[in-house]
Amino acid sequence: MESPDRATCPCCGDPETGQPRRGFLAKSLALALGAAAFATPVVVGIISFLNPLRQKGQAGELLRLASLEGLPEGGPPVKVPVIMDRVDAWNRFPKQPVGAVFLRRTAKDQVLALHVVCPHAGCFVDYDEANKQYHCPCHKATFDLEGKRLEERSESPRDLDELEVEVRGAEVWVKFERFQPGSTEKISQA
Amino acid sequence: MKALLQWIDDRTGVLSAWQDRRQASVLQPPGWLGVWPAAILFTFLVQAVTGFFLWMYYSPSTQTAWESLYFIQYEVAGGWLLRGMHYYAGQMLLAVIGLYVLAMIYSGTYRAPRELLFWLAVAMAAVAIALLLTGDLLSWSQRGYWSTDVRTKFLFLLPWVGGDLYKLAVGGPGMGHLTLTRFLALHAGLFSAVFGVLLLLRAAWARRAALRQAPAASDPHAARSRQALLNALACVGVMAVVLVLCCWGAVGGGQAGQSPGDYLGAELGSPPDPGDAYAAARPDWYFVGLYQFAHYFSGGWKIVPIFVVPGLLVLVFLAMPFLARWAAGHRLNMAATAALAIGVVVLTVISKYQDAKDPDHQASLAAAEQDALRVKELIRAQGIPSGGALALLWEDPKTQGPKLFRQHCLSCHDHAAADGSGMLAENPSAPNLHRFATAEWIAGLLDRKQIAYAPPRDPQTGKLQCTPTDRPRYFGGTEKLVKGDMVDFVKGNLREVRKDVGEKEFRTMIATLASEPARTPREKPSEEVKQAIGDFTCFDCHHFHGENKAPVAPDFTRYGSTEWLVGIISNPADPRFYGKNNERMPAYAKTPDAPENNILSLRQIGILADWLRGVWYEPVASVE
Repeated sequence: MESPDRATCPCCGDPETGQPRRGFLAKSLALALGAAAFATPVVVGIISFLNPLRQKGQAGELLRLASLEGLPEGGPPVKVPVIMDRVDAWNRFPKQPVGAVFLRRTAKDQVLALHVVCPHAGCFVDYDEANKQYHCPCHKATFDLEGKRLEERSESPRDLDELEVEVRGAEVWVKFERFQPGSTEKISQA
Repeated sequence: MKALLQWIDDRTGVLSAWQDRRQASVLQPPGWLGVWPAAILFTFLVQAVTGFFLWMYYSPSTQTAWESLYFIQYEVAGGWLLRGMHYYAGQMLLAVIGLYVLAMIYSGTYRAPRELLFWLAVAMAAVAIALLLTGDLLSWSQRGYWSTDVRTKFLFLLPWVGGDLYKLAVGGPGMGHLTLTRFLALHAGLFSAVFGVLLLLRAAWARRAALRQAPAASDPHAARSRQALLNALACVGVMAVVLVLCCWGAVGGGQAGQSPGDYLGAELGSPPDPGDAYAAARPDWYFVGLYQFAHYFSGGWKIVPIFVVPGLLVLVFLAMPFLARWAAGHRLNMAATAALAIGVVVLTVISKYQDAKDPDHQASLAAAEQDALRVKELIRAQGIPSGGALALLWEDPKTQGPKLFRQHCLSCHDHAAADGSGMLAENPSAPNLHRFATAEWIAGLLDRKQIAYAPPRDPQTGKLQCTPTDRPRYFGGTEKLVKGDMVDFVKGNLREVRKDVGEKEFRTMIATLASEPARTPREKPSEEVKQAIGDFTCFDCHHFHGENKAPVAPDFTRYGSTEWLVGIISNPADPRFYGKNNERMPAYAKTPDAPENNILSLRQIGILADWLRGVWYEPVASVE
């Protein structure tokens, strides 16, 4: 790089003698020290700015959502609200509704849990009793009782997200997780 | 490349201005006196950078300001260092400007043609103070809150406009959300911008001043390099001091289990409680001198130290460069500055010395530190509710109990162990409630030597001559009860009854009574339990789960439980407690249906009762 005034350029030496200028070392040292001093607050600031990357979402918690009695075998899916402590930065809000899950009993001790959020854009899907299918009110995607997409070219990039279920005696426990919308794969938001 | 740079320079003039600046800087002799402007610029840039990143986390409202600072200090990676740097570099900024002003006067460089540069330095000091004062409130701790409360109320000293100015300053009739939003806008917006403008003006005007002087250095390039190195060293020095201050807490060493936020960076005091005036609120070091000076004035005269003297000082400083046209004026300026500096130092030392030997001040500091530690302990266990961290403290018997007791109970009741540690009433005239209703307390009450004991009265004042360890523990100071049936019984019949029933049974009776708080409200005692107490003729006067339908003394049903304590504190003259025999104890919540008529809310009484019983949260690690 060339400065418009060649004669005062610090790094390329005196144009007449070709000798590096006296004080060049001092100047470089000054630049290094000044940069180091100023870098300190900048680096600390950037580390703090990047803090959200360290924060984990509250996913993967096993929650008791229902009892088997409430889910008749072969019956329609039941929408169950998910109540959890919600953490927002410094605040903890105890027992807040954070989402919902469709539960459907498929066999004597088997329950299918589908996340209520449509994988396309994150709208809550509804259950349509007449057609025995789920449909998303936002972009009209439909899903069958297993959560499979019904259209050939569905708006939704993947089937409804199935959640892990554990039946413990008469209780239905679900591992509540959120997944990134818009992708063809289930990617946890945690 | 050259053409591109030329193109840019033609349109912006940036490169030419830079060249001019470099030429001008050569004209000054290099030296340590020249480093101050660089140090000021550097410190301000540190403030701008750290302030910007703090701003990303800071939430200016009364329920979130302290809470977001807690989050920065304890949860954000490097947050304690970020906050610490901003806190200490802010004070460094004022210190560096102050030293620059002194250096200009001392070296005579405040004289023509640099009068305006000197004025700019004085203006920078004023804006730096404005930044510090607004920042002090934004820290939203007990200290920041109550310091600002005092300072803003000084506006009332101003005639006619004082009240309106106060409302404008705090954003309403009192401090709250709008004080925070206002102060943040002033701090991060206006004052920061004004400081930046002052720095730009200084850069431009310094060049003009330098061009009017003959070149001093024979080798301009070497001189410039040398000055650059000195400037860089000054910046490194500022940063080093700030970092040392941030990490100073590590010298004492963090205790095991402490988070770095506890002892590194700037202190995070307890959240401000508008209902709990903080007597130990003191300004930071740069205002302690003025604070002490203001002490020598009272009432309306406070306007002199708060507004008149600082205003006059600014005028004196602004006049200095012109006085210095005469040699005598320069000497006068030097003398005045030295006198001011010495005066500030002396006043600061006096203030610090007085605080150090003032037990009330020390107690207030210790109490605030206790609250700060406690609220962080509670946050780690429970998280911060939406009402803010203060709600945790308000619900905490461990810290609120003693405050309520001191305010409402200590005029009659002691709350102290046998060695006198705890809270002692000036003139105890009611039972010591320390470990009330425990087996040990009940055993003492049933001891004929203790129940009516009191030290002798002073013949003149009629007051008990108490020492911390020699004082009534039960009814000794209570005029009516000391002559009452319970004292008669303990001193008289009880000895016979004890002999008849047996010593083992006596201890069982005390243990049974002491375990009443553990009984759930619906659980009825067995016949053995009733018998254990009834054998000692207690039911002649006291009611216990249906025994004795016409009691004349306090109920034993769930005696000493939170519910029982809430009852007796709410209304001791209720038939369940002392009834008509109640001597002087006030009813703190006589009408639960009309809370506005009561001295304490039921919530407060519940906290007091839980504290008396020793029921509060303790982290597992500290339980031994």
